[in-house]
Amino acid sequence: MLSTYKKKHHSNNFQYILIDKLGNIIEADNQTILNTTKVRFIQEIHPFFESVETLFTIKNEEFIFNCVNMDFDNKDCIVDIKIDTNETHSIIAIENLTSHYNNYQLTAQTRNESIINSQVLELKNNYLIEKEQFKSEFLSNFSHQLRNPITATSIFSRLLSETNLNSEQKNYIDIILSANRDLKNRIEDILELSKIESGKLILQEEVFNLKKFLKDIISGYVLLFKKKKLNFIIDIDDNVPEYVDADQFRLKQILGNLLNNALNYTSEGFIKLHISTNYVHAGKANLHIVVEDTGVGIDKNYHDVVFERFTKVDSNGNNNIGLGLSIVKHLVTKMNGNVSLESDLGKGSKFICNLSLKVVRDRNKIIDNNPLKHRKSFETKKKLLLIEDSELIQLSILKILSSDGNFFLNIISNGEDVISTILNEEYDIILISNTIQRYTAEDITKSIKETSKYYKRIPVLALSSEVFREDIKRYKASGIKDIIVKPFDKDSLLDKLYKYVKK
Amino acid sequence: MTASKKIVLLGHFGVGKSSLIRRFVENEFSEDYIVTIGVHISKKTISINETDSASLIIWDIEGHDDVKKARASYLLGTHGFIYVVDLSRPVTFKNLETELSYLNEKFPKIPLKVVGNKKDLVTKQHIEQYSTILTPFIDYFTSAKTGNRVELLFSKLAKELL
Repeated sequence: MLSTYKKKHHSNNFQYILIDKLGNIIEADNQTILNTTKVRFIQEIHPFFESVETLFTIKNEEFIFNCVNMDFDNKDCIVDIKIDTNETHSIIAIENLTSHYNNYQLTAQTRNESIINSQVLELKNNYLIEKEQFKSEFLSNFSHQLRNPITATSIFSRLLSETNLNSEQKNYIDIILSANRDLKNRIEDILELSKIESGKLILQEEVFNLKKFLKDIISGYVLLFKKKKLNFIIDIDDNVPEYVDADQFRLKQILGNLLNNALNYTSEGFIKLHISTNYVHAGKANLHIVVEDTGVGIDKNYHDVVFERFTKVDSNGNNNIGLGLSIVKHLVTKMNGNVSLESDLGKGSKFICNLSLKVVRDRNKIIDNNPLKHRKSFETKKKLLLIEDSELIQLSILKILSSDGNFFLNIISNGEDVISTILNEEYDIILISNTIQRYTAEDITKSIKETSKYYKRIPVLALSSEVFREDIKRYKASGIKDIIVKPFDKDSLLDKLYKYVKK
Repeated sequence: MTASKKIVLLGHFGVGKSSLIRRFVENEFSEDYIVTIGVHISKKTISINETDSASLIIWDIEGHDDVKKARASYLLGTHGFIYVVDLSRPVTFKNLETELSYLNEKFPKIPLKVVGNKKDLVTKQHIEQYSTILTPFIDYFTSAKTGNRVELLFSKLAKELL
């Protein structure tokens, strides 16, 4: 019985063809696989045999071809072919494995498709990452280029406003100052966002009086709201902690951006600022901040996009450039908090923000950071060396220092003259720009520090727009004491000078 | 006179070997990706000049990420190779130099054409980005979809084989 089955199975799935050296078909069995009856030469059945005809002339060899797709007579079959050659003839043994190989094809199809899809996805992902990086770098570089002119216009407008001007001129200069502030804020927003998005933002925590901090911020806005005839409702709960250990600059950014947003989109009614403590746990106060307005409101369809960068949705649903809310979202997330929005078109907006701040109860940790306290007159004027190649910045600093009256200023524009200059004169403090051609601020600082024992202890400050953590680390390693960030103004420059110059 | 020549297409899976052959033999193209297992063999006769023509027997073998994995019997008696890469997937050409060195070493006398396929899917900038890997080796930038330079590829190779 077994031999009968074997014979049946064998005859259906196997075919043997005897040919001579030229491919002449001498004998063939089982015509269900390849039909040899209509042809004289095997090469005429399928191009496969045409391309292997040279093998027929090789004596006493065996050639195996697996998984050969044969399509002829409107029939597809997939076969293994064995060619056995001897002195005068060849035997071609064909095994029909169509169903076996078809199953294998399905598996291979799924496997290959999945591999290709994942490769394509990875490529798309890399492309998006590169695009984002390019965008961030471009924005960052572009903003850096703008810092020197902005610093100069800001300082000179301020100086001009302190001269004898008539009321019309004063009015104009106020407009210039306000526009300049606006421009400066926008540039800083762009830089902030690229810094935040690149993951380089580090929170600079310090102890400060939160209640006083809130009072200062609010007082800055009271006038602005009054100007727009808006009712500013302030509701600060008593349970707000007095002293916290947090990044007050970032906290100010969050509140400032939320209040500015409300101010921009509210033309009548009120803006309400509510701050309370949700709970205190493990030394942290969970602060609940709500900024509510009676402004234009935001269509529910746009709630998801208002926190995305470069998206500002106006009452018509149009998108404008806007970074404030995006910065808020990033900063709040960085502080392990969350921000949400309740609003609808024409019904005002309510931004709700919860974030945790470390509460400080130990009075010893509380220090007074008021920079103005450091500003005292010196017995003799201090000698300051400025190494800066931008004439705008040179002139700006010159004007600030001459109005302050406590510094002698010497300016050099290139790195080559630094050593000879400091050897001729002992300076009390040195400012180095990071834009000096051919030299980095760190290189110049290292050379200065190596000059003498005296210069080892003289503070060197960098004028730079590079404020990422790795930049600061690099600067400090070279001996630079601190950075005056461009664009700077009179106060930020003088604060740093008075802080570091030896009394 | 008609000479019969065996051409084998090599390269990773999904680079468009079968599509190039289909475009050349049937002048057709399909977006559907059907994985080739084993080998499909097609034939097309083209005239080389007024008196000569070539009967190209084209072996479309299953793709591998390493040319060494191709079944040795498939490569027996080959007259010409076409090595295909997918320009849109760098993984298919990142080892191009090694792959070609292997072929040149193993089959030193057999003509080999290197093809960057799916040109329609990539930009000039994309190709420039990979120019150090591609430029020294690629003979033809083709598109099986549009038919761009497909005919030229086969006819040039056929001429070389005669």
